[in-house]
Amino acid sequence: MSEKIRIPGRGEYPGKVEAEALVSPKPLEGFANNNPGRGYTTERGHPLFGVPYKGKVLVYPSPRGSGGFMSYGFGDNKPAAFVHTEGCPLSVACAMVAHIPSMTDFADDPMKYIETGDTVLVNADEGYIEITKKQ
Amino acid sequence: MHEVILTDDEKRMLQGESGLVAQKCMEYLLELCRVSGASRLIDLDGTGDFHTPMTSMSPYYEFPIEELRKIVDEGARFAIPTFANKAPFLAQPPVQGWEHCDVCAFQNDECLQSDPAFHHKAMREEWYELYRRMGMMTTHSCANYLVDTYWPTQGQHCSWNESSAIPYCNAVLGARSNIDGSFATCFLGKTAYYDMHVTENRYATVLVETERLIATDTEWDVFGFAVGEDAGVHVPCLTGTAKPTTTQLQKLNAAMNTGGAVRMYHIPGTTPEAPTTSYAFGGKTPQRTVVIGDAALRKAYDTLNYHTGDIVDMVYLGCPHLNIVDLMMLARKLDGKKAKIPFYIMTAPWIYHVAQEMGYVESFEKAGAHLMTGSCLAAMGAVPKGVKTIALDSAKQAYYITGCYPDEDNKLEVCYGSQDDCIDAALSGRWRGEWK
Repeated sequence: MSEKIRIPGRGEYPGKVEAEALVSPKPLEGFANNNPGRGYTTERGHPLFGVPYKGKVLVYPSPRGSGGFMSYGFGDNKPAAFVHTEGCPLSVACAMVAHIPSMTDFADDPMKYIETGDTVLVNADEGYIEITKKQ
Repeated sequence: MHEVILTDDEKRMLQGESGLVAQKCMEYLLELCRVSGASRLIDLDGTGDFHTPMTSMSPYYEFPIEELRKIVDEGARFAIPTFANKAPFLAQPPVQGWEHCDVCAFQNDECLQSDPAFHHKAMREEWYELYRRMGMMTTHSCANYLVDTYWPTQGQHCSWNESSAIPYCNAVLGARSNIDGSFATCFLGKTAYYDMHVTENRYATVLVETERLIATDTEWDVFGFAVGEDAGVHVPCLTGTAKPTTTQLQKLNAAMNTGGAVRMYHIPGTTPEAPTTSYAFGGKTPQRTVVIGDAALRKAYDTLNYHTGDIVDMVYLGCPHLNIVDLMMLARKLDGKKAKIPFYIMTAPWIYHVAQEMGYVESFEKAGAHLMTGSCLAAMGAVPKGVKTIALDSAKQAYYITGCYPDEDNKLEVCYGSQDDCIDAALSGRWRGEWK
């Protein structure tokens, strides 16, 4: 059994889910630079360009850009949960349209520990994430 | 979840004592508090705007037009002066000049903006008839602050909803807004008390210095993008700049909220909450100092450019919507000239009639350029068919428009530069812009 890493944080939108992580090393941007119908970012040159986020724990450092950031929470292709280091009203609005577990304001930066492919339990009800490193 | 303290009045609304619509709005605001971490609501004493015609920013709190009609017939009014953001969703048709707009919204052939039948439907007048009765000023602009004629004053609490306009409210006017303008906030005159409503969050934490004096429109635009990328969600204090013009503030605000999420910034000696640098930081030491030097500006300029050749198929100016002085200068520059390629100029609907009266619309038409209002290409999710390379003078538009064309076999390229570079491209069909 691999060791689990637990980090306390603040639940934004409640709920509990465990899924594979997709980590964006760069801030994410919405509006025309996200295509919710296809379920991936369309920001040119972005490390996650074209990478589907459906059903993943989408981990990112911070939101940027227009109010259209909320499109990450639209429709059937939305992630299973959001985990982000820093937030602002863009990520608040996104959690509100997505209605999926969403967390921020962690005791330690989750970006330091989570890699794409790790399994992350997001427990926004009790205020922590638990990371299981991929084998 | 933390506790949210509501007043007795707010509790009664939540229980439905003021009707279904007020109840839905209060439920939405309560959720806004819970998600944002706010422990209470604040009464708004400034202004609001929202993306229309949606009755909520969240699908979970929408209500149908019949419910809206019912409360309007009963005399419902917005609680604060309320303005309409861009053209009606989803198609966001140009309000004026649409006859010349050869764009199919979201690249759907059935949504040609210049088709009169489509335009009529896309304007969704049935909603605005009701909203106007509630007091909404149907300004239909991302930069509606240009024409509102009634601005919030320093310290007033607002609820706006446009990333490029939020810093105009916070940094330029010294009023206070998060990007949360919605039917609920404008109808009830309340919003969640967090982020930019709270004095402590408005102080700068990042000191920005420069190598060159930021002075031209393009320098402000590129600088804004670079600062946004660096500052992220934090509040920067900008030094090493000339006094910005209104046009430059518009560009700065839009660019900072493309490269980052800068709701508030300070320019000591220029913006109202920063009489001095020390004041901008609330008397504290900057957490970080960054130099946005010539190399960083060059990098941002190169990021905003995205083209392989120098043939240009179209020019687009007007992100954010141009002000009346922009239009005057542009009309002068185009006097006696003729564009070789499609050339669209975008402004706010309430400026159109003034531009017409001043003769600018006629000047543009003579030069082969079309003035349109209320929308933009990125909002429509498309450029005219056949356009493979577009010239733009806006960091925001330049960085977003390519996102509408993610497929390898249907790419859009962008030549980004100064307004003069774009005019030269319109007249010659070639891109000769370079970073200076």
